[in-house]
Amino acid sequence: MEQSIRYTPFFMLCGVLIVSLIVGLLSRRHDRGGYGVQVRSIGHASIGAAIASNWMSAASFLGIAGVFFLNGYFAFAYILGWTGGYVLLLVLMGSQIRRFGKYTAPDFVEARYDSSVARVFSAVIAIVISLIYCVAQYKGIGMVFAWMFGIDYTQALVFGVLITFAYLMVAGGLKAARNPQMHYLVIIIAFVVPLMLIAKKLGYNWLVPQFSYGRALRELPEQVSNAYLFPWTFGSPYEWIALCFTLMVGTAGLPHVLSRFYTVPNNRDARWGVVWGLFFIGLLYWSAPAFGAFAHTWLTNSGTVLTPAEAQALADIIVIKTAEWVGLNEIFISILAIGGVLAAISTITGLLVTGAGAIAYDIYYRLINPKATESHLLIVAKGATLVLALLVLVIAVNPPGLIAQITAVAFALAGNTLFPVFLLGIWWDRANKHGAIAGMTVGTIITFAPILLGNMIPMLRTILPPTSSALIGAPVVILTMIIVSRLTPPPPEHLRRFLVEKVHSP
Amino acid sequence: MSQTNEQDSPSRKDLRINFFRPRPGFMRKEVTIIWITLTAWAVMTFGMPIHLALTHSDPTRTLAEAPYIFGIPAYFWFSGQFLILWFIFLCFIFNVLIDWLSSSYRRRR
Repeated sequence: MEQSIRYTPFFMLCGVLIVSLIVGLLSRRHDRGGYGVQVRSIGHASIGAAIASNWMSAASFLGIAGVFFLNGYFAFAYILGWTGGYVLLLVLMGSQIRRFGKYTAPDFVEARYDSSVARVFSAVIAIVISLIYCVAQYKGIGMVFAWMFGIDYTQALVFGVLITFAYLMVAGGLKAARNPQMHYLVIIIAFVVPLMLIAKKLGYNWLVPQFSYGRALRELPEQVSNAYLFPWTFGSPYEWIALCFTLMVGTAGLPHVLSRFYTVPNNRDARWGVVWGLFFIGLLYWSAPAFGAFAHTWLTNSGTVLTPAEAQALADIIVIKTAEWVGLNEIFISILAIGGVLAAISTITGLLVTGAGAIAYDIYYRLINPKATESHLLIVAKGATLVLALLVLVIAVNPPGLIAQITAVAFALAGNTLFPVFLLGIWWDRANKHGAIAGMTVGTIITFAPILLGNMIPMLRTILPPTSSALIGAPVVILTMIIVSRLTPPPPEHLRRFLVEKVHSP
Repeated sequence: MSQTNEQDSPSRKDLRINFFRPRPGFMRKEVTIIWITLTAWAVMTFGMPIHLALTHSDPTRTLAEAPYIFGIPAYFWFSGQFLILWFIFLCFIFNVLIDWLSSSYRRRR
């Protein structure tokens, strides 16, 4: 790796962070009345943009292109999993959970299953999901900073974490408001405009690179082209379906995705917001594979051959590398790098807040100190944020896989635990706390068994790939919940009445 | 629940909620809409890779014989681009149907 600092992206990043702070400070004055609660007149498209900006992380911005660069068609399992999951969420749970009226996963679990044990369990799961998700984001930040400063990954990671933390502290201290619509706009422009320029440089249709990358793929040497176009070169049909299904149920079970349904004034707006949200997310996912394809075009044109290890190491910043390889103006390369960092930072903020909130309110307040005051809990939450961040840093020093793969493990955990608990909690009155606790236990075991025991029992990794365990896991957990609930007494009558009269009535 | 749609709602003693045996009235219609959407979702998403797995096992033959659209094999375009459109379309249709259902129930009350 070249040992030189790239000043342009660094100064541009600092500039963007400062500008977003100022914008946040200016817009703070306008909504002092209801912090975080949006005004009624808000349009569906703008709700959709908020959903999309909440969703787009380093996994979408950097990860997908990397997987496509390495595995061609197999990457579509990620793309479809991360979009089709919204259909599942909207159709099966969106309105019902909203009518239920609980805003976080632990709140829902406690209210529905009438059990503080189940609540704490689901809080721990939500925290672990946040942790895993954050590791992937930090890997993205580390990779981009390593590229930016020409230093090694670990140093870059620490440096990147310091910068993001300083930014979060300042933004939090000044109570700067976030503008999700603007955030989405910045991210999507930072992604698509450089892609158009890359297509132009390589001589493909630049207006819709989303279509022209197909031609680019077919013009590669036949062997390479066939490998990327053929569905089963890099994974069996089972692996593809299992991954796609896991990401879908994971999307429907992710706490921070679900809570998006409540920041909107009413149910109908939330539902229509999803349609727009999916479109906005789609814009990014239609484009992402093009980076991977154009990277191969350049490699072929320039006669460069990467070893599998080199390709693996570059995959997560292939978006930036492609722009650099084809010789884009440094400003546009920097825009890509900044977009990736911004996507990661905003996701980290959301996740750390969720995680720290769960530690302070669901674990500390419930289990350790029920007499704690609000200001005391706030201090605990701040401390928890720091502890979580350090924990993530330690894991991210040796990232266990690609950004998209690490993220997928978080989805597998959500799909194996929270998804069944939500699903049965809404659609089956008989599901009770014993069933929920048993189900979450089995789900946790299914998620982590292939990771922890995979080396001893290789069969386990074939049947339950760590990224894709929910195809088998979710049905097994649902079955466990049904059996255990049947064997134990039904939930109290007032809960079942509530389900009938509130959750399943117009 | 108000008195007017008494014949529509099951007895107040019956508190059973089951996706596979929806309560008469609003919930039954809602579940029908959910089934339609979910079927359209599952068939297109998982039917396609299953079809590919059954029919396409040899790369060179596959790519020579598969139908092409926009210059790439049709299945490739289908998974990479069409399905996302399909998901958006499904959410749209679902919303239209649910809007219609809830407004018809609101009027009845």
